[in-house]
Amino acid sequence: MNGHLSDGNLRAALDGELAEPELQHLNACPACQRRREQIRSQIQPAAESLSFLAASAQESVPAAQSALKIFHNRTAIRKENSMFKRMFASPVLRIGLALVLLLAIVLSIPATRALAGDLLDLFRVQQVVVVPVDYTGMQQLTGNSTLGKQISQLISGSVTNEQKPGAPVPAADASQASKMAGFTVRLPQGTSPSRISVENAAAFSFKVDRAKAQALLDEAGRSDLVLPASIDGADVSVNIPANVSVAYGTCPEPGSDATGANLGTTAGRTYPDCVILEELPSPTVSAPADLNIAQLAQIGLEFTGMTHDQAVAFTQTVDWTSSLVIPIPKNAATYEQVTVDGVTGTLIQRPADDAPQYVLLWVKNGIIYAIGGLGTNSQQAVQMANSLQ
Amino acid sequence: MRAPKAGPVEAQAETTETSSPSDSFEELFLEHWSMIYRLLMRMIGDPAEAEDLAMETFFRLYQHPPKAEEGSNLKGWLFRVATNLGLHSIRSYQRRQRYELNAGKNALEDPAEDQPAEILGSKEAQALTRLTLSHMQPRQAQLLSLRYSGLSYKEIAQAMGLAPTSIGPLLLRAEREFAKTYRSLSREEV
Repeated sequence: MNGHLSDGNLRAALDGELAEPELQHLNACPACQRRREQIRSQIQPAAESLSFLAASAQESVPAAQSALKIFHNRTAIRKENSMFKRMFASPVLRIGLALVLLLAIVLSIPATRALAGDLLDLFRVQQVVVVPVDYTGMQQLTGNSTLGKQISQLISGSVTNEQKPGAPVPAADASQASKMAGFTVRLPQGTSPSRISVENAAAFSFKVDRAKAQALLDEAGRSDLVLPASIDGADVSVNIPANVSVAYGTCPEPGSDATGANLGTTAGRTYPDCVILEELPSPTVSAPADLNIAQLAQIGLEFTGMTHDQAVAFTQTVDWTSSLVIPIPKNAATYEQVTVDGVTGTLIQRPADDAPQYVLLWVKNGIIYAIGGLGTNSQQAVQMANSLQ
Repeated sequence: MRAPKAGPVEAQAETTETSSPSDSFEELFLEHWSMIYRLLMRMIGDPAEAEDLAMETFFRLYQHPPKAEEGSNLKGWLFRVATNLGLHSIRSYQRRQRYELNAGKNALEDPAEDQPAEILGSKEAQALTRLTLSHMQPRQAQLLSLRYSGLSYKEIAQAMGLAPTSIGPLLLRAEREFAKTYRSLSREEV
């Protein structure tokens, strides 16, 4: 080879990483050897400072099997959180989820209170029941444009809006909100809301198209779930009374993307002190009395990820005459029953690392109350609920 | 080295030619967990953070396993991801409050720690080294982290997408830069 070795080559020589021809030169060249020693001295301080990065036999390490178990738990939570966020981030799926929730209400119609074969039944919410669902089972739904289109067509082709709520209207205080909404609005004692708004009543109806609904299940890869023929052509009408939203702290505007189910994603950092109290008189749902509610509920639960046996067991435990069933992500949320406002309520918490959030739900005197906030201070919701007047 | 065969739905589609039937994600996790955790523990110096970052490293393997050519050097791939995460974590620490250096200084000033001065001095030196790495160009800091963690030039070259013959010159340049930055920060901290 020609000439002496470069400094870079001599640095590699110090690590025993020099190629054979260069190594032969180095062994025969005193000048390169002197230069190599100069470089050794030059890098010595850095090498000493960085030496602690080298592996040592004395390090203690969490057991791999335990770590793998933790990894699987965290992965399950992450998948569900991701699933949940993606579902709410997609407008089509948001509508689809609204349909699922609507079905949940419809499914709650009390078959035992049938007046006659072709008469209508009436459903009113008296309690909230939470059902943990493994949302990862619905993973195939995201990104499925055909399914999204079918959901949109199913909704737009069959729903008739009889009364649109319009944009929320601001109210000066609880008294004015009560007059506008038609029921007595209660506020926590000693608090000053940053905003009170009233959403007017809404009403809509739809006729169930069994073929289209079944096609939706098929497209979602759930051909094993077969909707009963009896639902075809059933007329369902839903009335949602005027409701009131009371905001505390800095909160997103009513109706913006950052409200409701989306609160807690990017909104988590923007509105860290936001707490929202919702008051909603129970919606009423009318539908043919001969619908087999338990059977439909079971299908709905299996669709959201429950096994057949779990769905059957759960369906039997719920009082379908008065329960609003709310599915929550099994691994990404926890819930507990708490006594608030003199009744039993349900506290749901999502301890997500990036955006924890909570919602407290209860029903009293025909009014559904919900207090939701970001962070982990759910006791604040309990205190607010107990001070309503 | 191998790329994992099993993983989530999206990962299964990326099964590589180099994987064998025994290359399940779980096996790769068990095989490499200790090595990656130790690397991050040395880099970060905080067991909880090291565990979180090691988990994140394997989550990335699970979610987006390396393609065939990268999978042939899975160790290098894991080291690259882990050192990236580790250096990012160190930089975040520095942005917040120069956490580690302060912790080391406080420890020196606090006899209640009941530790020999040489151990505390060593901790402070390690904290200053981490601070130095956080001030360097990310590629240079990563090169130093990979080399001093024990990777061969060939493994480093594969992990960083470099020619093996370029490692010596780049390493020397990074070490000179490290020494310069270290001296400068030492003067600042005195």
